[in-house]
Amino acid sequence: MSSPVYIAGVGVITAIGNNVAEHLLAFSERKAGMGDITLLNTKHKGELPVAEVKLDNNALANLAGISSKTSRTKMLSLIAAREAMNDAAIPKFSELRTGFVSANTVGGMDKSEDFFVDFLADNNKGKLRDIFDHECGSITEVVADELGITDYMTTISTACSSSANAIFYGARLIKNDLLDVVIAGGADALAKFTLNGFNTLMILDKEYCRPFDDTREGLNLGEGAGYVVLVSDEVAKTLNKPVYCALSGYNNSNDAYHQTASSPDGTGSYMAMQGALNKAGLKPTDISYINLHGTGTPNNDSAEGTAIKRLFEPDFPPMSSTKSFTGHTLGASGGVEAVFSVLSIKHGLIYPNLRFKTQMHELPFAPETEYLKGQPIKNVLSNSFGFGGNCTSLIFSAV
Amino acid sequence: MNINNYITSNVTIVKNVVYHNERPIFENRDADLSAFLLSVYQHLEVSYPKFYKMDNLSKLGWLATEVLLKDSDIKQYQPEEVGLILSNANASLDSDKRYMQSVADIPSPALFVYTLPNIMIGEICIRNHFKGEDAFFIFEKFDAVFIEQYVNGLLSNNVLQTCICGWVDVLNEEYKAVLFLVEKTKKANAVPFSAKNLNVIFDNLVIDKL
Repeated sequence: MSSPVYIAGVGVITAIGNNVAEHLLAFSERKAGMGDITLLNTKHKGELPVAEVKLDNNALANLAGISSKTSRTKMLSLIAAREAMNDAAIPKFSELRTGFVSANTVGGMDKSEDFFVDFLADNNKGKLRDIFDHECGSITEVVADELGITDYMTTISTACSSSANAIFYGARLIKNDLLDVVIAGGADALAKFTLNGFNTLMILDKEYCRPFDDTREGLNLGEGAGYVVLVSDEVAKTLNKPVYCALSGYNNSNDAYHQTASSPDGTGSYMAMQGALNKAGLKPTDISYINLHGTGTPNNDSAEGTAIKRLFEPDFPPMSSTKSFTGHTLGASGGVEAVFSVLSIKHGLIYPNLRFKTQMHELPFAPETEYLKGQPIKNVLSNSFGFGGNCTSLIFSAV
Repeated sequence: MNINNYITSNVTIVKNVVYHNERPIFENRDADLSAFLLSVYQHLEVSYPKFYKMDNLSKLGWLATEVLLKDSDIKQYQPEEVGLILSNANASLDSDKRYMQSVADIPSPALFVYTLPNIMIGEICIRNHFKGEDAFFIFEKFDAVFIEQYVNGLLSNNVLQTCICGWVDVLNEEYKAVLFLVEKTKKANAVPFSAKNLNVIFDNLVIDKL
């Protein structure tokens, strides 16, 4: 099965923009999305910075065109997935075999948290409507319905590599001739559940995160959604505009080391990157840019960096963590960063790694800190590594 | 469909006794659960410092697997060919409660990572380098019919070549672990893998015929 899979459309929403155009502007202006908590109702307000999408539920629901009583995850998902679908503008869409592969990790937890306040006090109280979306799959189903996708839908939840795995899986569905078009990616809204969980693990930075900096102390949580439209060779030929690029390589590997940490030598990340290169038939020197997982936690950046050193030394391509703009959007991050990787190829962009000052002592390379455009970008490697050692790398290639 | 799979090893840990293939191999009657689990670990004479970090549920499942695989040919399988299908009634409630107690002071990351029952499966996989299909199910009671159907499905579709399945449950001082090694080939003392035999072994801890 060597038939190519192309990217025909992209859509994204995060703390730095509600669509692709706003993201491109924010990158060029080096405008990060972190700040004090304004929307999430938590006692950590003013203490832990997060990267919120700057629209409350009413404004977000308006943009999505669905009820404001629904989960924020669903609104984010619909906004970005619809942008991707409109961007692709595939002729005769309804006559094709279409699929929606969407990832998330919190489901409708934001609403469940509201439900439990009343319910715990009195188990006859609490609005059942608020737990309707609790299950991750509920988000996917409603969004697929809104998009008019009925042939195939599924939800993937593998922590922080979730939506990279959704894209990986979507590509395989096309390669194996099961579907013609797959909208793949993921969404996650901020919730007390994730904020408190990551806070318990002591990996949240009280300052703005500093990926790949020696003084880094943790990540900032973000929220958002990112989707790509994957199409077969045949569908690509029917499009009224050129495709963005091809998804040429992908791999998922697990280092089975710890529940919430990568092995110190980054075995899983190394195998994922190496596997994706093999799949694409590329050498490390063919990679023009690496979109790092780069969460800003001491463990991730050290493990990921060590794996990159082992695989790429002595020729390190430019690399950066766009989480320095968007925060860590968890289940959405693989989709969000796939969109950034695709845009990197289309516009010749290398994104700056914000707030980098101090070289990591154990690494011989540093992330790119400048915003560079007009670069000859041929192949972009995008890393998404999740809890449970679930490591995924994707490679996007110019066509 | 004629399915011929076999239980080639089984282990039960209950009431402070460890049984391997229905024969008691260790007991420590006068210990609380934590002390008992430590004594089993010491009895097995293995060195695995990570054991000390685990919660009681993971320790119990981990120790049961050590005994289950002791004389097996598990190493002949590829990592992707070995899977785990486990179940219990109380999920990770034992650790959830301990974690909630710690929240009053400083939430403990060490406790937090064990607030999911499938973390136990992870600990067993990390120890043995298993990379096959796994799943954890919550039932009020041990459901032998479900386990039989689910595991047979994985084996007959060649998703797995061998499967560790059963029950590992802990809540406070109440606990029970019964694990089965299911393989496709018959070995000495193997019994057919059936709901009936699963239940016989599960309930037979009437083998308090000690």
